[in-house]
Amino acid sequence: MAYNVLVVDDSATVRAVIRKTLDLAGVEVGEFHQAGNGQEGLDAMKGRWVDVVFADINMPVMTGIEMVERMAADGLLKTVPVIIVSTEGSATRIEQLKAKGVSAYIRKPFTPELLRSVVDEVMGVARG
Amino acid sequence: MFAEPAEKAAMPAAVREYVLASMTFSGHWRGSLELAVPIPMCSELAANVLGLEDDDEMATARGPDALKELLNVTCGSILTTLAGDQPVFDLSVPEVVGMFPERWKDLLQSSDTLAFTVEDVPILLRLWLGRTS
Repeated sequence: MAYNVLVVDDSATVRAVIRKTLDLAGVEVGEFHQAGNGQEGLDAMKGRWVDVVFADINMPVMTGIEMVERMAADGLLKTVPVIIVSTEGSATRIEQLKAKGVSAYIRKPFTPELLRSVVDEVMGVARG
Repeated sequence: MFAEPAEKAAMPAAVREYVLASMTFSGHWRGSLELAVPIPMCSELAANVLGLEDDDEMATARGPDALKELLNVTCGSILTTLAGDQPVFDLSVPEVVGMFPERWKDLLQSSDTLAFTVEDVPILLRLWLGRTS
């Protein structure tokens, strides 16, 4: 099954790496969308179905956390799983994010195997 | 690309065509992390990450961005290694600027700076910690 994916990160390099790693991991990608911050991410989901969102935390304009909070308040977007991809390694932070509705957390750098494992787990358990 | 620790005394007193990546952090501790590298290393880094040739136009264009992300990952790793996996940090968005010669000298003279070489090319990394707890 092909997933429509949205990657939200202010680094174009990271967005490209996530796309490449999804391919290496054998995750079938249908539509691939990109955004440079949380606001662009929200805009990208307007009128467009996204199966899963990969998002960084620290971004200009709107952070990943703010984007997740806005999604949780939206009747439709709250069902879209969000996987945070970040450099931060705090277990406390991860618990805070999950309490806000984040489905999973991947710490950079990551392997294709880890990415595949997290995607399989998240997509097997729908939010909402 | 592999960085090897080097002696600061063996570093050149001045360099040309270097950039400085920097970011700050706050929370459990506050501080900053800076990384000084030569400009060509940025495109080489991007090429390595993206699977491109070093002289690929995209590698050149994405060089500064790749350097920022390297600093970002390094900062997260350092803070977790030093503080453990419980404390929370807020990391700034990294920036990359052209480096003035005086800044290289400042970094060399700072006790918070470590020197490395990557394929015999000198680079400097400075971690400043102002602990708040």
